Amino acid sequence: MNRYWSLVVLAAVFEVGWVSGLKHAESILEWSLTIGATVITFIILPITAKYLPIGTVYSVFAGLGTVGTVLVEMIFFEEPFNLLKVLLIGTLLIGVVGLKIVSNQPETSKDVA
Amino acid sequence: MPWLAIIIAGCLEVTGVINIKRLAMKKWDAIIWLIITFGSSLALLSYAMQSLSMGVVYGVWTGIGTVGSALIGMWIYAEPKDWKRILFISIILASAVGLKLIT
Repeated sequence: MNRYWSLVVLAAVFEVGWVSGLKHAESILEWSLTIGATVITFIILPITAKYLPIGTVYSVFAGLGTVGTVLVEMIFFEEPFNLLKVLLIGTLLIGVVGLKIVSNQPETSKDVA
Repeated sequence: MPWLAIIIAGCLEVTGVINIKRLAMKKWDAIIWLIITFGSSLALLSYAMQSLSMGVVYGVWTGIGTVGSALIGMWIYAEPKDWKRILFISIILASAVGLKLIT
């Protein structure tokens, strides 16, 4: 279970890579990396969707991808830093952690029984 | 027209998500559908971005995709419908759409 959650996180990391690439890539190397990252994302997602609910996979993937992209823009591309962004990143992460905890519950209760 | 483009792009995105699930179930034709749906979805997005701001376009698109995948999961694939799960997906949804609108 945890392994597949880690893979969703990894897919989001690659998503941040290609979203940044689509926006900023200039050389052939950068475009190749962008395409490579897109392909890897869509190889990882079906693997996770085999074991996790697709609604969970896609919301976590899209959510973490958004957080990553906002952070990359702030850290590497000089987008302005503001408190509301940080707040929303915080609530989004609460949502992801909460969803993970809720998702684990049926399994735990089965183990107990 | 840009709004129609976003809505169609959102529907194509959800169709793409169904194909992620189908690929997970080893239905190999899903690979072709994935390329067609996400490819045309992104093309419509870039069209919409010519007349609307990127944050709005991307925010609405993500919103349709997240809500759509959650509903499809519950309806077609019998995924859990408990209120805590729906609450946390909604928190992720609201935060992601908010982030896209302000950036």
